[in-house]
Amino acid sequence: MPLDIDRHAHVASSVQRWDPRIKLVALMVFIFATALLKTLPMVLAAFIIAAVVLLLSRIPLGFVANTVKWIVLFLLPFFIILPVTYPGSATFHFLGIPFAMEGLRLALLVVVKSLVIVMTAVAIFGSVRFDIAMIALQRLKCPSIIVQMLLFTYRYIFLFMAEMERMDIAMKARGFIKGPNLYTLKVMGEFVGTLLIRSFERTERIYKAMLSKGYQGELHTLVEFNAGPKDFVKAVLVIALAVALLSIDLAGPFQIAEQSWY
Amino acid sequence: MHIADGIVSGPVIGAGFAGMALLAAATMRNIEMDEIPKLSVATAVFFVASFIHIPFVVASIHLILNGLVGMILGKRAFVAIMLGVVLQSFFGFGGVTVIGINSVMMGGGALLAYGVWQLRHYVSIPKKEVVFGALAGALGIFFSGCIFALALVSTGDAFLASAKLVLQYHLFLMVLEGAVTGACAGFLAKAKPDLLAGQRKPQTS
Repeated sequence: MPLDIDRHAHVASSVQRWDPRIKLVALMVFIFATALLKTLPMVLAAFIIAAVVLLLSRIPLGFVANTVKWIVLFLLPFFIILPVTYPGSATFHFLGIPFAMEGLRLALLVVVKSLVIVMTAVAIFGSVRFDIAMIALQRLKCPSIIVQMLLFTYRYIFLFMAEMERMDIAMKARGFIKGPNLYTLKVMGEFVGTLLIRSFERTERIYKAMLSKGYQGELHTLVEFNAGPKDFVKAVLVIALAVALLSIDLAGPFQIAEQSWY
Repeated sequence: MHIADGIVSGPVIGAGFAGMALLAAATMRNIEMDEIPKLSVATAVFFVASFIHIPFVVASIHLILNGLVGMILGKRAFVAIMLGVVLQSFFGFGGVTVIGINSVMMGGGALLAYGVWQLRHYVSIPKKEVVFGALAGALGIFFSGCIFALALVSTGDAFLASAKLVLQYHLFLMVLEGAVTGACAGFLAKAKPDLLAGQRKPQTS
């Protein structure tokens, strides 16, 4: 999982040029519409839309795949669990294990929906610098305390990951080997405790330095957002597609069709 | 353990966000600016902790540590965990539409853990930080497992078996998290007790 999600934010594209505030709102509408879909054809349509947005954003596909693979790995077990445990009659038995097509359909639905949402999230946050995305959030009336905490945390994550790696190397150098035993758990607990203490002391220093330079809890920025007609056209397009998907899904031509599959 | 996007139904998503708003409003009152660094550190450590893997017979599983966040931040733990979940969704880890339900699941567990942790003042046994830290860590995860299973069950009968698996996994995770959180609490009580929430100052005078 790449932590610097905005690594390719400099790549010029029509998605990158999209005003971050409007991009955030429009694609969030699309994400929530996708989450509410219930039929497979509509979810596949959503997948195509998300893929088109991602291709337009010109974020390297290898980077996207790296981000998305975790969620797919996490959801793979559903392909086995759901068909085998689906309540009601099984479509066929394989080696005495019941196998329900309806369960397979549900698993496919869940996994593709997840994929669409994660892909869209990558399109949003991968095509804009993280700090600018946070300023956009603030302009969208997100409480400033939340925005500040997100920015601080984002900064600290990289710091603590590096700290953790250093501590890990130090432990290995002293001959520590992780194993399934109580001793490992105790050491891991103390490891987390040490990480906490070091992090707190470091951030106290950072915070004092910030205060002494006049930090008063406000973000001053030279970033200006200028939403033009193009930005709104893109937003209307995406939201219209989301509404269309959801209404066709609810109207139900596919719900009936899918029931006759099995 | 997260709920991913696309699993739970619309009403569950809605209920998750409603619960999150309620808990956030209740725990964020009178938040001061100089609390931000401490909250951010705990959020970042909560985030980073999900990269700590512990080997277990065949697989390796990662820590959640929501109980520990509760022990450090007290009631403010909910905000920290909520923002951790939000950040994870930005990275494509976790989910966007399930921010609400995931926050309630793990943040609620943190609040419960804080409640358990505070009970240590009523007993006097040796190493009570370790004992109550372990209890808080375990119960925080137990709460998360219950909410996770509840979300699955209320989505549909098809997920009943999955919910059972989730509960079993969390019961097992409880033991691990309890041990790690207990050890961490014992260590912090010795090394830097003012990091822990609700720590009483020794009587002077």
